[in-house]
Amino acid sequence: MDHPFYLWMSYGATALALAAEIVALRVGRARARRAVEAERGLEEQD
Amino acid sequence: MNAVANAAPPIASSGSVGAGFGWSFVRDLTLAWRHPGETVLVVAFYALVASLFPLGVGAEPQLLARIGPGIIWVCALLAAFLSLPALFATDYADGMLEQMVLSPHPMPAWVAGKIVAHWVASGLPLTVLSPLLGLQYGLDTATLGTLALALLLGTPILSLLGAACSALTLGARGGGMLLALLALPLFVPVLIFGAGAADAAASGLGAAPHLSLLGAGLILAAMAVPFAIAAAIRIALD
Amino acid sequence: MNFYFFASPATFFRLAGAMAPMFFVLAAVSGAIGLYLGLAVAPTDAQQGEVYRVIFIHVPAAWMSMFIYLVMACYGAMTLAFNTRLAAMMARALAPTGAMFTFVALWTGAFWGRPTWGTYWVWDARLTSELVLFFLYAGFIALANAFEDPRRGDRAAALLALIGIVNLPIIYFSVQWWNTLHQGSSVSFKGTSMHVTMLWSMLLMAFSFWMYSAGAALVRCRTLILDRERRTRWVRALS
Repeated sequence: MDHPFYLWMSYGATALALAAEIVALRVGRARARRAVEAERGLEEQD
Repeated sequence: MNAVANAAPPIASSGSVGAGFGWSFVRDLTLAWRHPGETVLVVAFYALVASLFPLGVGAEPQLLARIGPGIIWVCALLAAFLSLPALFATDYADGMLEQMVLSPHPMPAWVAGKIVAHWVASGLPLTVLSPLLGLQYGLDTATLGTLALALLLGTPILSLLGAACSALTLGARGGGMLLALLALPLFVPVLIFGAGAADAAASGLGAAPHLSLLGAGLILAAMAVPFAIAAAIRIALD
Repeated sequence: MNFYFFASPATFFRLAGAMAPMFFVLAAVSGAIGLYLGLAVAPTDAQQGEVYRVIFIHVPAAWMSMFIYLVMACYGAMTLAFNTRLAAMMARALAPTGAMFTFVALWTGAFWGRPTWGTYWVWDARLTSELVLFFLYAGFIALANAFEDPRRGDRAAALLALIGIVNLPIIYFSVQWWNTLHQGSSVSFKGTSMHVTMLWSMLLMAFSFWMYSAGAALVRCRTLILDRERRTRWVRALS
């Protein structure tokens, strides 16, 4: 295996890990906002 | 003797370290003596798993002699781990833990008594049995002695750290698996130095550095971990 | 202004919302410069050729993995000492980022080790203790989420983080205390033997990862705040 392979695997995995974390952050934030909306909807029902 | 195990902690006008330790130690030891099933199970598991490895890797004497100390250590680790979930769980479930927390004795004292009793019922039998298992692996006398000494120093550390993880996971979802995830990484240094001590003895180098570090670790753990466990129990009971 | 002004989730939420984008911008800018310096400007290494450039990810990620754990343990200590909600939420917010950088350090280390040492992995002191660090992060996250009552999870995980802090000196000093395959430290406060461009690239990447971690932790903390405080008036009043 030549050196470019190792560089690509390293930088690539790092980029993937960062992308995965950013996606997870956005998904989590969207889920929390939806939960807040649902809570607001419940309150309005009262 | 029923009075020992079933009674709440003796009400003293002021609690003391000695009384707290003594009461807890005697109680847990009595309970372990009356229900030897757990100790027998731990020892049986230990011997059984240690016997499985030669069947799996082949009985070549040189290979067994080299991997023997490590395998015996891992088996001791797993066997000690087996007895951890029940350490605080039964007392937590029937409310005895709250009584103990309310007693005037300092928490770290009776926690330490509990852990020493746990070690006497699990770690000590494993240590005593280790030379026999070592013979199965064809280890020589010097290695057997060092292995037993390393286990003698290391298994109390496992009991201490394992008890801390057990206290942290009282009533948690995920049970045994969560306990394994928490406890096994903390066990790793003990394993490394303990197996390393036996390996050093086997290859003729001195095991003194490894044993010294294990001893130091034991002193540090014995002084610090009971306080951590006391904090964990308070968190669990809030 | 009250010293504890930002200890309330309500006020911290807005502060975090304002600060996070700044951290991300700093991370992006320093990361871009660092990568440019490291990949385009820094010279080829005499012994390792081009593959040494993994260092610009590996070392910053390893530094972050340890630093984030330290910060997480400090927040854990604050949780136990002051019994606040927000400190626990910040600890929870930091853990996944710390685990991610630990994984990156282990992975990039393996892919650097293969061409240089000849093996992806070796059970020496530093690699083993970094692996243990990964399991400590996983244990922290698992324990924090293992209880019905989130406050119980907060405090149990905080205590666990403090117990595991012993691992950090072991990782850091392992290359001094043991004969290991991993090289010793080449960067210290007194000076370095590295080429200046390589050094600067590595430092800029470390700074970039640091800024990114702060931004990610703040965003995650905001999400946790929304989750936990969703029944409060101020959350429901948000746009």
